[in-house]
Amino acid sequence: MAELQHRSFSLGRIAALTGNTFTELVRLKVFYFLLIFALLLIGNSLFMARLSFQQEFQVLKDVSLGAMSIFTSLLAIVATAQLLPRDLEDRTIYTILAKPVPRYEYLIGKLAGVLLLLGLSILAMSALFLALLFVREQMLMSETLRETAGLRPEQVQAAIRSLEESAFNANLLPGIVIIYLKAALLAALTLFISTFASSNIFTIVVMVFIYFIGHLQATAREYWLQEHGGGWLAKTFLALVALAFPDLQLFNLVDDIVAGTAIPPGLFAQTAVLGCVYTSVYLFFAWVSFHGKAL
Amino acid sequence: MTEPAVTVQNLTKVFPIPFRRTKLVAVRGLNLEVAPGQVYGLLGPNGSGKSTTLKIILGLVTASAGTTKIFGRDSREVGSREAVGFLPENPYFYKYLTGAETLRFYGKLCGLRGKKLQARTDELLALVSLEEASDRRLGGYSKGMLQRIGLAQALIQEPKLVVLDEPTAGVDPAGSREIRDLILDLKRRGITVLLSSHLLAQVQEICDRVGILANGVLVREGRVEDLLAIENQTELILENATPEVLGQISALLDQTKTRLVEQRRPQTTLEGLFLEATKTSPAPRDS
Repeated sequence: MAELQHRSFSLGRIAALTGNTFTELVRLKVFYFLLIFALLLIGNSLFMARLSFQQEFQVLKDVSLGAMSIFTSLLAIVATAQLLPRDLEDRTIYTILAKPVPRYEYLIGKLAGVLLLLGLSILAMSALFLALLFVREQMLMSETLRETAGLRPEQVQAAIRSLEESAFNANLLPGIVIIYLKAALLAALTLFISTFASSNIFTIVVMVFIYFIGHLQATAREYWLQEHGGGWLAKTFLALVALAFPDLQLFNLVDDIVAGTAIPPGLFAQTAVLGCVYTSVYLFFAWVSFHGKAL
Repeated sequence: MTEPAVTVQNLTKVFPIPFRRTKLVAVRGLNLEVAPGQVYGLLGPNGSGKSTTLKIILGLVTASAGTTKIFGRDSREVGSREAVGFLPENPYFYKYLTGAETLRFYGKLCGLRGKKLQARTDELLALVSLEEASDRRLGGYSKGMLQRIGLAQALIQEPKLVVLDEPTAGVDPAGSREIRDLILDLKRRGITVLLSSHLLAQVQEICDRVGILANGVLVREGRVEDLLAIENQTELILENATPEVLGQISALLDQTKTRLVEQRRPQTTLEGLFLEATKTSPAPRDS
């Protein structure tokens, strides 16, 4: 027998599981949704021909970032929900866990595979969105220069500056990172639910509920605090609710970005850390539920 | 003293039945030991606790009571699985991977890398006669080919113990014979094999020792030839015997030209023993 010293944590094993999960998802053709995203952007561009350039850029950003958020969230839920049930149904999980693979590595590998897929998807969508934004900006720039040909240089400069400010701004990038972290959080939560769910349909239905509750809970919380005051009991209860149903509205910075409001670095860092903490906590919950599960 | 390949002591597994007050006792007070290099067959009807026992040995299911060890290490320790290869019943591997990719994936899980992994993959593909199909996706493999690639993945890290759950289930006679030959080859190489099977003739042919489970209880256990021997009978094997000779055989044996080829204790079949043992099994299963 090959003398292999067993290590309780191996990045090599996790990388193997990650790569395999990613291949599985790619070969299931989940990337088809990118085609829908592209069609949505193209359709949107046709509609925008009738708007002013400020409105056009605003709608383009609104639609693109909104679609990115919905598509990555949906992809995170649907792709993750089927991973464990499929391995259990096909008994491939037996062959993997009968190897010297700790269960936490199996879960980390599965989640990392989904996160890799989400990362590449969001990169592709961002590239498409930013390319479209750049092309429209260049086209409008030429038009503006043509239209302002007889004006004074200061007026031309002002028109160009106004156009540039309406198009790309650096706030888009942290906004896209937050969209990714929200999808990561949803993937980790889906993985946790799938460790005890009876089917992937059950997991998806529960996650859809959580998704909506997660977006509405901030409003409900404010209403509750107004009605019942902010005692420690109410705060504990609300903290538990926030753990079960993550406040997804916190990850919704699209409106500010579209409006051109700068995201303060502090808020970005806070939201990013919150996303990472939620993802880690749900992954830990998944391990607690899965480590003693009879397979 | 040589450490047993598998040690099971007082193993009990109880499954609670949701929404009912009863519990299902899948395995009850099981004790067994598999010596290194042995081929051990675990027999029993459906639901007798064979698969549960194998899963507990592999750490896939937690025991309610008792201990299981692999080469002296508690089988709940992940590290104990360095020494084990497992082929579950009717496995479906990742259909989107080719045969070679499948072996590389399992090899990486066992810490193999680079040239060593490639060499081992090639070696195993040759062992299970799947070199020609190594670049085909598993979705296009026949049942027999899937069993063979399954056996190859079980062997990827050169384990000292191979656990096979119904290795020939659903495989045609030719495929079944190929798997039997592979198991005999493992035995020749000193690898311990623990298998469960319904194909009693095959088990009789390849196993050194068997245990028969019924309702979670080990009702018979021992070396195959000992279990099959019938103590109070003698078997005569005659050559060229005529009906007349047969009629007078006991009295005239010494005076006729009939040759006594062999004199030994006759044996029942493993199938007969199995049916008899499981028919008289004890125990209702609910507690």
